[in-house]
Amino acid sequence: MTIQNALFDGLWDYYIWISLAVSVFTFSWLYHHSFWYRSEEGVEHENPDEIAVGVFPKHNDDMKLEVAWTVAPFLLIVWLTYISWMPLASVWAPIDDADYHGFECEEGQSSNNELVGEGYNAIVESECYHVMEITGKQWVWQFDCLDLATDLCSTSSDTIEVYGTVPVLHLKEGETYLAIMISEDVTHAPWFLGLGTKEDVQYNVETSLWLTIVEGTSDQVILCAEYCGDAHSIMAAKLEIHS
Amino acid sequence: MRTKIGRSLVVLAVLSVAMLIAPAAVSYPTGVNGVAQTGCNCHGAVANSDVAPSISGLPDQYNYSEEYEIVVSFTGGPANAANSNQGGFNLWVSDGELAPIDATAQAYGANEASHTEAGNDQTSWTLTWTAPSGDRNVEFILHVNSVNGNEDGNNGGSSGDLWNKLSAKVSPPILVLEEADPFVVLSTLIVVSAVLLIITLTYVFYRTNPESFTWEHFAPWISEWLTSTDHKKIGTLYFVAGMFFLGVGGIMAMMIRIQLAVPGNDFLTQDQYNQFFTLHGTTMIFLAAMPLINGFANWMVPLQIGAPDLALPRINAMSFWLQPVAALLIFTGVFSGSGADTGWTGYAPYVVSETAHLGTTMWVAGQIMLVASSTLTGINFLTTIAVMRAPGMGWLQMPLFTWSILIANLMLFLSIPAFGVGLIQVYLDRVIGTAFYDVSAGGDPLLWSHLFWYFGHPEVYVVIVPAFGVISEVIATSARRSIFGYRSMVYAMAGIGVVSFIVYGHHMFTSGMSPTLRFVTMLTTMLVAVPTGIKIFNWLKTMHGGSLVYRTHTLWTLGFLVTFTLGGISGMFFPSIAMDLHLHESYFVVAHFHYVLVGGTVFGFYAAIYYWWPKMTGRMMDERLGVIHFLTGFISYNALFWPMHRLGVWGMARRHHTYFVTTEEAMGALPMEAAGWNMFVSVSAFLFFFSNFFLIANMIKTVIRGEKAPADPWGGWSFEWMTASPPPTPSFDPHNLPELKDANEHIANEPGTLGKLFNRLMMSEDEEVAH
Repeated sequence: MTIQNALFDGLWDYYIWISLAVSVFTFSWLYHHSFWYRSEEGVEHENPDEIAVGVFPKHNDDMKLEVAWTVAPFLLIVWLTYISWMPLASVWAPIDDADYHGFECEEGQSSNNELVGEGYNAIVESECYHVMEITGKQWVWQFDCLDLATDLCSTSSDTIEVYGTVPVLHLKEGETYLAIMISEDVTHAPWFLGLGTKEDVQYNVETSLWLTIVEGTSDQVILCAEYCGDAHSIMAAKLEIHS
Repeated sequence: MRTKIGRSLVVLAVLSVAMLIAPAAVSYPTGVNGVAQTGCNCHGAVANSDVAPSISGLPDQYNYSEEYEIVVSFTGGPANAANSNQGGFNLWVSDGELAPIDATAQAYGANEASHTEAGNDQTSWTLTWTAPSGDRNVEFILHVNSVNGNEDGNNGGSSGDLWNKLSAKVSPPILVLEEADPFVVLSTLIVVSAVLLIITLTYVFYRTNPESFTWEHFAPWISEWLTSTDHKKIGTLYFVAGMFFLGVGGIMAMMIRIQLAVPGNDFLTQDQYNQFFTLHGTTMIFLAAMPLINGFANWMVPLQIGAPDLALPRINAMSFWLQPVAALLIFTGVFSGSGADTGWTGYAPYVVSETAHLGTTMWVAGQIMLVASSTLTGINFLTTIAVMRAPGMGWLQMPLFTWSILIANLMLFLSIPAFGVGLIQVYLDRVIGTAFYDVSAGGDPLLWSHLFWYFGHPEVYVVIVPAFGVISEVIATSARRSIFGYRSMVYAMAGIGVVSFIVYGHHMFTSGMSPTLRFVTMLTTMLVAVPTGIKIFNWLKTMHGGSLVYRTHTLWTLGFLVTFTLGGISGMFFPSIAMDLHLHESYFVVAHFHYVLVGGTVFGFYAAIYYWWPKMTGRMMDERLGVIHFLTGFISYNALFWPMHRLGVWGMARRHHTYFVTTEEAMGALPMEAAGWNMFVSVSAFLFFFSNFFLIANMIKTVIRGEKAPADPWGGWSFEWMTASPPPTPSFDPHNLPELKDANEHIANEPGTLGKLFNRLMMSEDEEVAH
């Protein structure tokens, strides 16, 4: 797994276990019935439902069972919705809602973000956040650190063998950033592969994305996830993390 | 009469040729197509012919490993020696090694070079190119910018600048064959497939009755097929068209998989790849899946409800004949080298931008015709099912396949107008300059996303629900049981139909739309699991106490249960938004929808083909070939799509013409193992593609010399098994329609819960008389 986002990892692992349980239950049933109830050569089969051409066959139903497997998936999705709720509130935390990332940092203040909880309960909390800007245009990313100190945020360019010269965004470990994003032409979406997050950037419409650089986050490639034309696949950038 | 038909055919042929040729002439004007692997981060949206790029110093034929000094330059445009900056360049070469001579240029690896900041104030640059040591055709692609020097950014930095592109080729000492253009390969394969289809149909016509293989017999035969309003003939036409386009879409998928087999591949350019995945999606959904559904629906719905034909036979013929014309429009751009490159979703504002290919306009026009076709089809089926059911057949006594077609057409009928409106807006934006999606003029790109997905998500269910109907029929017949929970199956299908309209927002979780709407659609998307669960468990319970007969259609049905369940489970990951933010637009999504649309819809169709083929042709299919088809198809299918889940989680993005893995020397987006898995997926794709040849061979073989089929070979109950195989025309005598009996007579005559309530509230007839 290359994803370093604890929110993703916690939910992913839990969903995989649920998926395994559902698969084992369903496929065991399928395997059992498809062999146990197979027809055998030379054995006359019964016709319990009186199937005949031109006759609507006898009903084969059981209200209790049908209600049971209406309620069971419903309970499962209620539970899955519940466990997906807190990470959802965290990734879409409203700006200046002090619950998760506090308010914009004062000069010299640090986010001191930390991972709280574990498994599907894992979320990132910060004391405050820094604001920066991301602009997308065919087919290049532009990062603007605004007036942040260079140890918090800086930009440069680098050559990655396959993508050519790409912009590089340098962010600091333990800090939380709010990226205000806009497009100069069509829709794009920066996909921070290692952070496991993305959001569309639209022409003339500001969107935002939380970038939580927790301890252990490593350098990663940023791709464009929303199709934007000819060179969409090489509209890349690099995120470098320093401590 | 025959002269009239002949004239009509000539006019139709001339119109078709005109549609093919005329737009081809206007789809070339920019000449910007075929941008090579480097792409162009140029100043401005489109190339400008006022700027003239050139490369001097290149030989016609190179010597092995010789170093050449080359000069790249340009004239024209706003560049002026008085400007602070004059221009820049980007040179890409397919082979050999580029190197700068001075500080005005820099190299990015061996294949690419550009100007430096110091070289920004000139219009020519000198480089060296070392030729390859072997024999290869070498291609140079040069992009140049001619700039006016307003670098202060106040006026946009690049405003008023112009750019252009030049391609050049150098031959090796020993001439080697040019690589085939993928478009030529695609066009050739489509033409070859069409010719093979015609030869096959002609051969089948000949072998079924060699005595009548004369023009006198052939002309009325083909004329009957082209002008028929019989539901069975139109069903066959839909079926043949759907299978043909399934093959065409498959060929495009194979070319996409060749491109993705290894990292950094250049089999397709970005530009070509973008057109291929756009047309792959459009073809598979609109020209393969929908016609195949309509093929089975045309054939089976009237037969299942005991009707002589559809309610509106001429409308039915019109619905079909709109489709090939629409297909010609959709493909027109490709044949001109500038096909639609927007993805099947055609997101705004890209779809109305200057950078989208000119063929996009024809692609939109073709889809508008498909909207018309689908609307007419919807009216026809809803009317037929509502008013032409045989005596004795109530709503809750219809076969489940007919129910599935009713629900699919209701969904389509309610959703496709939104798509039609969106397409017309895009067409007007592109053709006469309206501004529905032009953001700078107040247009709203998210409006397209809403209109498209309001249709697009129900559309996915429109193509899967008929497969539910097929599976319900096949599993019950194969198990020799009545379907378990008939009524809950109907309610579950209807439930899926209703839910499909309130979940579409999950396609837009990252779009920036209202967080409240995103949250609501998260909840509703989760709800899809409920009716889906009911259906899967009902299918499994149907086998209980039965006597399962293993035929090829049974195998495909069991295969469907496996793959559709897996597709359903992977679908549950998306409404969990913290995960969706990573998985969105990744190969995990590609894996999920192929598990649903191929493992669900296509496997359902395969089951339907093997199940109803004896009824449609009067011949039994070869079971041995059928089993081989299932085994090869099922295994290769899973090998093809299962690894895509992992690739998506690793970060492989869809709609990217290539990908790069991390090596010891360079950082890429994916881990090293992704390269091996992609090769495995590509090989599996070819195996899956070719596994379908067993089905084609089976069809041809059995039509020519298959065993004759009885009226009811599998022991089904619905009316189609009452008629001869193949059925006569009209399918049932309108003056002597069949009457459905009910083995639940006592239940059928008892009032339901609502009926009992009304009975208690209302005065009985006896009491009324007494008063």
